[in-house]
Amino acid sequence: MARREEAQADRIAGRLTRRQLIELEACTRCGECQVWCPVFLQDKRECISARGKLSLLQRLVNDGLPDTELQDFLQGLYECSACGQCHVVCPVRINTHELWEQTRESLVSAGIPRPETQTKQLLTIKRANNAFDKPQQDRGLWAKKAWEAGLLKAPVPLWREQPSSVLYFAGCTASFDPEMQSVAVQTARLLQEAGVEFSILGDEEPCCAGKLRRMGDLEFKAEAEKRISLFAEKGIKEIVVSCAGCFKGLHSDYAALWPGAKKVRHLTQFIDRLIQDGKLRLKHAVPLTVTYHDPCHLGRHNQIYDPPRRILQAIPGLKLVEMPRHRAFSSCCGMGGGLKLVNPGIQHSMAGVRIREAESVGATAVVTPCQTCYMGLQYGVEETASSMQVYHLNEMLIRSVCPEVSCGEISARFQHLQTT
Amino acid sequence: MQLMVDYPKPWLLFGVATVISLGYMGYAFILKWRAWNRGAEETRRAEGGRGRATWIWLAEVLLQRQLFVLSPGRWLMHILIFYGFAGLLFLSLLASVLRPLALLGLDRGLSSFFFQGEGHLFIKLWGDAFGLALLAGLVAALFRRLFFRSVQLDNSQADVILLVSLLWLALTGFALEALRVALVPVWQARYSFFAQLFVSPGAYTYNQLQPWLTALWSLHAFSVLGLMLYLPHSKLMHSLLAPVVIAMNALGEQDREDIYWPDVKKHRPTGSPGA
Ligand code: SF4
Ligand code: SF4
Repeated sequence: MARREEAQADRIAGRLTRRQLIELEACTRCGECQVWCPVFLQDKRECISARGKLSLLQRLVNDGLPDTELQDFLQGLYECSACGQCHVVCPVRINTHELWEQTRESLVSAGIPRPETQTKQLLTIKRANNAFDKPQQDRGLWAKKAWEAGLLKAPVPLWREQPSSVLYFAGCTASFDPEMQSVAVQTARLLQEAGVEFSILGDEEPCCAGKLRRMGDLEFKAEAEKRISLFAEKGIKEIVVSCAGCFKGLHSDYAALWPGAKKVRHLTQFIDRLIQDGKLRLKHAVPLTVTYHDPCHLGRHNQIYDPPRRILQAIPGLKLVEMPRHRAFSSCCGMGGGLKLVNPGIQHSMAGVRIREAESVGATAVVTPCQTCYMGLQYGVEETASSMQVYHLNEMLIRSVCPEVSCGEISARFQHLQTT
Repeated sequence: MQLMVDYPKPWLLFGVATVISLGYMGYAFILKWRAWNRGAEETRRAEGGRGRATWIWLAEVLLQRQLFVLSPGRWLMHILIFYGFAGLLFLSLLASVLRPLALLGLDRGLSSFFFQGEGHLFIKLWGDAFGLALLAGLVAALFRRLFFRSVQLDNSQADVILLVSLLWLALTGFALEALRVALVPVWQARYSFFAQLFVSPGAYTYNQLQPWLTALWSLHAFSVLGLMLYLPHSKLMHSLLAPVVIAMNALGEQDREDIYWPDVKKHRPTGSPGA
């Protein structure tokens, strides 16, 4: 190996852990990862599967790779939703999705660039503090609008004006995407219905920076530390998030840096407790047969399988049916790991597969507690021209607790506000 | 009574070749160790959960629980190869440890028990059992690979070479044992319950078979050394590293709230879509 390549291989290896380097050689080549991989189902090349990537990476860190194989490896590495399915089925339990993220970081540090679309998005996040390139002062507008539209029982207090025991961290998508603002509004309303005292950071709320980790940005640690200092400065002890991606970011990615990460809860965990404690009453029937889509970041990455199911089962009139692939084997909708930025077509097909699976069990709707999966599954509906409905779990809850804040109602009232 | 069939073996040549093979293996492992050591320390240290991690390790490594749940057929194949190989390795190690100890007079009579005494019959019995398990597992694996063409097998050259090498070792081992059985009385031959199916016990004299025994022993023994040289570069590395990785991951997973936790049983797969 030429000296330059050797130095590059060493740089890549130096950013992986010893365990990860050993993992590269521990693969039995059994191919179990391949038959479960939702991306491989769409693109049947060895470099797409975990097995293929492990073997190419092993050669890359030891002997270097010829250019064509390096290109194959990069394609496999970035055309991966980091869903973690390969980790769950691997008989050696190789911690693959963590390895893919770490490898992305180490490649960039060794001067091998990531796809341009991902770099662009990362720059936007770091510059604008959100992936939508929207002004930060607009972040808390959803709460103001919701109060003005009569969708809330009381105005949502800003932390700087009224700190409370719980911070509701809405996240970029629910704050900025007009289609998804209903998630934030409904979360706020549900918390109010249950009598929870909470505040939001409004224009001080940062992006969780989880995407930086997913795409291997070298500044992830520094950016995470900024957010951790902000939480400490504000005296924030408990955080509730309504997005599976933010949960993965704040709860899992920050865990190595911040003991407070343990106090970050996903909304489904929080609401489940409120229902069990009798604080949130599910009054109205929701006569639907639904199936539940486990977001990878909640399920496989964090073992949150039961709370959302308990919530759905507690809703009167609602029937929950499981898809063949559920819980730890739930098939990814393709929205994670920056895959959609690299190959939107594959994401659409992956989501289409999931929609077909939902149809196969006789469900009329797919419910998920993640706004990113929600959007991803919508692409699947388009892809398959299906009549399947996709709902955020909040919508099911709201229909049972206070139907006047349903998605339809929210968008009608927001539109009305805009025109007046 | 001398139960072991003794015949001339090229010990000196074999000894030199063993030292070279072990030296090469050691060198290859040092290089690997250096390569792994380029990696960084874990940022999250495993805390607690050691007892649970030990159970997980035992279930995953010794019982290969996950593979069983995914595919009982593949589990059986793998467990036959795993225990067949491990058992034969253990018996070979026993012999390689006892011989030098006997020369130094430190074996407490164990070598005469295992080589000349009744222990020898047990070695033959277990040797046949482990050999048969290995052979059955390998034949099934090759069959699956070459004829069944399971979707997830990539049939890379290296994988086939390894399977064929192991099969070669198992077959030469059985051929050697069959030759030995051809020299011993029926009651002794019964302990080699599989090898005796292919020859008539006691049908030949020592002088008739001695050159064949020496030749076949050499072929088998030097093939084993060949495999030792190939091991650091082969897929067989997984047999050493997979248990290490499983242990490392099981220890860290409680902290990461990863798949082993909080409840292993809840997250069992429902069957593999592959074959
Ligand atoms: S993380 Fe998911 S998409 Fe990526 S290789 Fe593994 S199974 Fe495939
Ligand atoms: S499932 Fe694990 S051991 Fe098997 S090929 Fe994939 S990464 Fe390797």
